[in-house]
Amino acid sequence: MFSADYIKDMDKILSKYDQKRAALLPLLHYVQGKEGKITPEAEKNLAEYLSEPVVHIHEVVCFYHLYHQEKQGKCHLSVCQTTACALRGAEDLIGYIEQKLNLKPGEVTADGKFSLDVVECLGACEIAPMLQYNNVEYKGFLDKKKIDEIIEKHK
Amino acid sequence: MPTLTIDGKQIEVPAGTTVIQAADKLGITIPRYCYHPALPVSGNCRICMVEIEKQPKLQIACYTPVADGMVVHTNSPKVLESRKTVLEFLLVNHPVDCPVCDQAGECKLQDYYMEHGQYDSRLSDVKVKKEKKAFSIGPTVMLDQERCILCTRCVRFSDTITKTSEFGVFNRGDHSQLDLYPGKKLDNNYSGNVVDICPVGALTDSDFRFKCRVWYLAQTKSVCPGCSQGCNITVEWDKMRPHQQKKARVMRLKPRHNPEVNDYWMCDKGRYNYRFIDENRIQYPQLGDEIISWDKAIDTVAGAVKSLKNTNRIGVIASAQLTNEDLFVVRKLFKDTLKGSQIEFDAPQADGDDFLLKADRNPNTAGAIKILDAKGNAQEIIEKAKAGEFDVLYVFGVNLIKLYGKDVVAAIAKKVKLFVYQGSNVNDTCSYAHLNLPSSVYAEKEGTFTNCQNKVQRIWQAFTPLAESRGDWQILSLLSSKLGTELTYKNSQEVFQELTKQVGAFGDMSYEKISDKGVTTT
Amino acid sequence: MEKITSRHFGIPNSHLLETYRKDGGYEAARKALTTMTPAAVIEEVKKSNLRGLGGAGFPTGMKWSFIPANNPKPKYLVINGDEGEPGTFKDKYIFEQDPHSLLEGIIITCYAIGSHKCYVYIRGEYIKSINAVQAAIDEAKKANFLGKGIMGTNFDLEVVVHQGAGAYICGEETALLESLEGKKGFPRLKPPFPAVVGVFGCPTVINNVETIACVGPIIAKGAEWFAKLGSEKNGGNRLFCISGHVNKPGVYELPNGTTLRELIYDHAGGIPNGRKLKAVIPGGISAPLLTPDQIDVKMDFDSLKAIGSMAGSGGIIVMDDTTDMVWAAMVAARFFAHESCGQCSPCREGSGWVYRQVKRFYDGHAKPHDLKNLPGIINNIGGNTICAFGDATTMSIGSYVSKFRQEFEAKIKNDNFVPTA
Repeated sequence: MFSADYIKDMDKILSKYDQKRAALLPLLHYVQGKEGKITPEAEKNLAEYLSEPVVHIHEVVCFYHLYHQEKQGKCHLSVCQTTACALRGAEDLIGYIEQKLNLKPGEVTADGKFSLDVVECLGACEIAPMLQYNNVEYKGFLDKKKIDEIIEKHK
Repeated sequence: MPTLTIDGKQIEVPAGTTVIQAADKLGITIPRYCYHPALPVSGNCRICMVEIEKQPKLQIACYTPVADGMVVHTNSPKVLESRKTVLEFLLVNHPVDCPVCDQAGECKLQDYYMEHGQYDSRLSDVKVKKEKKAFSIGPTVMLDQERCILCTRCVRFSDTITKTSEFGVFNRGDHSQLDLYPGKKLDNNYSGNVVDICPVGALTDSDFRFKCRVWYLAQTKSVCPGCSQGCNITVEWDKMRPHQQKKARVMRLKPRHNPEVNDYWMCDKGRYNYRFIDENRIQYPQLGDEIISWDKAIDTVAGAVKSLKNTNRIGVIASAQLTNEDLFVVRKLFKDTLKGSQIEFDAPQADGDDFLLKADRNPNTAGAIKILDAKGNAQEIIEKAKAGEFDVLYVFGVNLIKLYGKDVVAAIAKKVKLFVYQGSNVNDTCSYAHLNLPSSVYAEKEGTFTNCQNKVQRIWQAFTPLAESRGDWQILSLLSSKLGTELTYKNSQEVFQELTKQVGAFGDMSYEKISDKGVTTT
Repeated sequence: MEKITSRHFGIPNSHLLETYRKDGGYEAARKALTTMTPAAVIEEVKKSNLRGLGGAGFPTGMKWSFIPANNPKPKYLVINGDEGEPGTFKDKYIFEQDPHSLLEGIIITCYAIGSHKCYVYIRGEYIKSINAVQAAIDEAKKANFLGKGIMGTNFDLEVVVHQGAGAYICGEETALLESLEGKKGFPRLKPPFPAVVGVFGCPTVINNVETIACVGPIIAKGAEWFAKLGSEKNGGNRLFCISGHVNKPGVYELPNGTTLRELIYDHAGGIPNGRKLKAVIPGGISAPLLTPDQIDVKMDFDSLKAIGSMAGSGGIIVMDDTTDMVWAAMVAARFFAHESCGQCSPCREGSGWVYRQVKRFYDGHAKPHDLKNLPGIINNIGGNTICAFGDATTMSIGSYVSKFRQEFEAKIKNDNFVPTA
C-alpha cells in the first residue's frame, strides 16, 4: 500500500475524475515523479488503489512512451527524429551524441549521468532539430556546439 | 423483427443481432478470429468483413447490427480480396511453425489460407521476433508469442468469464506481445479453455503437446463424468495409430457447446481427467487372485444370490457414476427380481467452485435418487454389512476404503460370504473384494446421465470396452439370465424406453428428444 | 489581416488574466451565458462555417448538434490537445501564450452543449503548456470565470487538465477518450460516435484546441464576420505551421484561402541556401505529398481534398532538392510503425512491414519485384482498419512511392542480399 502522504496527493488527483480508472495516467505520472520509475510494487499498489486488475495497469505502463520501468539518467535526452527535424540534420546529431556519450538509444551511461532516447515528433518543428531535456524543456536549433554545452553542463 | 438477406438467403432475426450472428443462424460461416459468441466484441482482426449493399466500404460482420432490408454478400470479389489482404498481413510475422505446432489441422490460419488465401508470399524481410516461444505459463498451457495474432480472445476470456485477468497485450504496433502479468501464472480451474478459444497455436495444451496429430482423432459426443454439472464434452481419441502413446485411446477431452449447461466451457478437473479411461483398468474377472472367465464369474455370483431371494440378505451399494440405464437394470435385478435386496448408493463429494464445478463429483446423482428411490448415503448398508446381516455385498465402482476406511472394509470382507466389486478402475477396495468384475467406463457406453438441474443428457460410445470389461447393465443382464429372468434388451435405448415407462420423472423422453442437448426431467 | 487565434501571441504576459481582460477577455462568454440560448450559440457556430482544425475538418456546429437533447447522462467537453501530427505545433502557442482564450471558448462551448465538466487533454511532453493552462484555470476560478455560478449566472463549470503519456494515436478522438478513461489508446469501433457515447459512456464533444479558441471571437464578432474571412465552406483563418527547409519556420495565422506558394515564399521566407523546392507535406505527415507544380493550391479543406491531399492539421513541411525521397519515405514509414497502436491486423503488421521494406530500399537492398509489390501492400493497409491511422499510412507513404517512383527505382540493386534480424 502507498504511504499516507502519497494517498493524500493521490486522493486529490482522483477527485478530478468521474470514474476511478480515469485517474490512472496522472497517478502514474505522479508515482514516476516521486520514484523515478514505475516499479511492480507501484503497479500493485495502484491496482489496489483503483480496484483494477494489475495486468491492465502494466498494459498502460508498457503502451505509453513516457512511462519507464528503469531509471533514466540524471540528464535524459529525448532527440526527435521525425521528418522536420530529420530534414534539418537530426540523424547526424543523434550519431554525434551516441559517439560522444558512448550511448545507444534506450541506454543509461554507467555513471548514471546521461540517458538517450530517440523519439517521434515533439511538436516543436519550428526549432528543428531539437531535443527535450529531462522530459521538461525543449532545446532547439541544435548543433554540435549546443550539444557539447549541454553535455558539459551535466558531466 | 428485421429481415435481411445474406448471400441470397433471407432470415428474420431479433433486433440487435449482428450480421455474423445472423449468418451463423443461416449456416453461412463468415471467417473470424477475434469474434467469439461468448465474449465481448473486439473487432480487431478485420477478417469478417462483408459487403453490404448501399454502403461504400466493407463492414465487419461481428459488429454491424442487422437492419430491415439489408442485403449482405459474404463472398463478393471485394470481400475475398480483403480476406486475402488480412491473411497476408497476419502471416507476415507469423513463424509458420506448422511442422512443430500442435494446432496444425485445426488452425484457423491454415484453414482460412487454404480457403481464402492461396497467394504467393511477398515477404522479403525478416519477421518480428518476440520474447517467449514454447514458454510454459502455468501447469496446463504453453505460450508462443510469435504465433499469436493478437485477437485478444484470451484476454477477454480471462477478464469476463473467469474474471481472473491474467492476460494482457503489452507494447504497441507489431511489437505488441501477449503475455501474463510478469510473475503471474495461469492456474485457475478453467485455464484449458483458453487453448480451445485460441484460433492459432499461440496457446497450446501442455497435456496434449506433441501427443497426437489432430487428423488422427475421432470425436465422440459425451458428458463429463467429473461432477453433477454434466458439462457436454467431446471425447477425442486416436483412431489410426493404436500403437502410439502406449496404446491409450483417448488423447484429450474438449467441451461441447450447450447454452443451458456449460456454454462453451469445461473446468480443468474434468478436462484433464481422462487417463482413467485407458490406465489402471480392471481388465479381467478375478476371483481372489485368480483370473477367471466371465462364465465362471457369473456362475459364482448366481450361485451366491440364487437362494437369497426375499431374504433381505443382499446389500447393494450403487454409484452415481452409473448411467440411468445401468441404474435401472440394477433396480430390475435386485429389487424386482431378487426382491428384498437393500439398495443404496454413494456419491463422493469434494470442493466445488462458483462457476461450473459442483461439489457433487458424480454425473448421475439425480438419476440414482430417482431410479433407485435412494438417499445417496450407504452408511446403513455398511453398518449392516459390518454386523453380518448380509451374505452378499455387491458394490458398483465406489471406493469404499476412501469413504469408510480400511478397517471397516476389511471387517466387511470377513463378514460377508461374497463381496463383489464391479468397477472400471483398480483401487484399494479391489484387494478386499472377493470377486472383481471389470466394467466399462462412460466413454465405452451408450446411455444417459441426469445432471444437477435434472437435465437428462446422452453419452455416446466412442470405442469398445477395454480387454474383458463389459457394460454395467450388460453384466447384470447376464446374471439375470443365469437366475432365470431374461432381460431382452438389445441396447441401451431399449433399456431407456422401459425406464421412461416405469420411472415417472422421465416422462415421455426418448433418445431422439434428448438428442445432443438434453431434456429436463419433471 | 485581422488576427483571431494569434492576436495575443508575442504580447508580454499574454498568458495572464489581467492581460487577457484588457481587450475584452471573457466578454464573449458573458454575452453567450447571459443573452443567448445554448441553441442560439450552436446556430451561430454553425453559420460561421468553423471546421475542426485538428485535422478532420468536420463542421464544428454540426458536431455539437449531435449531442442528444433528451439524454439524461451528464455531457462532457474534451479538448484534444494531443498535438502529435508531425509538422504541427500551433496548439502549443495557444496553450502557452493565450490559455484564457481557450478557457473562454470552453465556457461558451460547454454552455452550448449543456456540459459542466471539461477535460483538457494535453500531450504528455508539453510540460510548459500543462503548467500554463493549469495556472490560467486557477486564475479563472479565482475571478469566478470557472467554478460554481460563473459570472453571476447559475452555470457551473469545472475544467481539468489531463496529461497524456506519449502516444500519437491518442490524437484520434476515440483513442483519446480511451486514454482519458485510463486505458491504452485503442481507437473504438464506431458507431456509436462520441456525441452519443463518449467519455465515461456519456455524450461528449471532442474538439481541437484551435477550434475552440475560435469560438470566443465568433460569439463576440458574429458568425458572418468569421465566415467571410475564409473560403466558401471554410470560415475564419487558420494557424499554419511551417517547418523543414524554410528560412522562417514558425506559426502563421493566415486566411484559409492562402496558397501554399504564398505560405512558403511570402511568409516563411522561402528556401534557404538558394535551393529549389522538391516536395512539400501540406497538412501533417498523414497528408499526401505535393510537388512544386501543385503549390498554387489554396490551403483550405476542400481545395486540398480536390487535388488529392488534405489540409489536415495545417502542418506544412518543406523539402528542398537535396532531399532523398526514399529516405524521407523511410522517416515517415518509421513514424507510422512506431506509433501504430497495434490493435487491428492490417495496420499493426502492415505499418511495420512497409517500414522494413522502405528501409531496405534506402539501404540499397531492394529488388525489382519489391517495387512491383510495394504500392499494392501499402494500399492494402488503408480502408480495412478501425481508425484513420491505417488510411493515413497508406495515403502518406503511398504518395512518396507514386510521386517519386524513379528514386525508388534508382535504389534497386538486385544483389544477393539476405536480410537478417
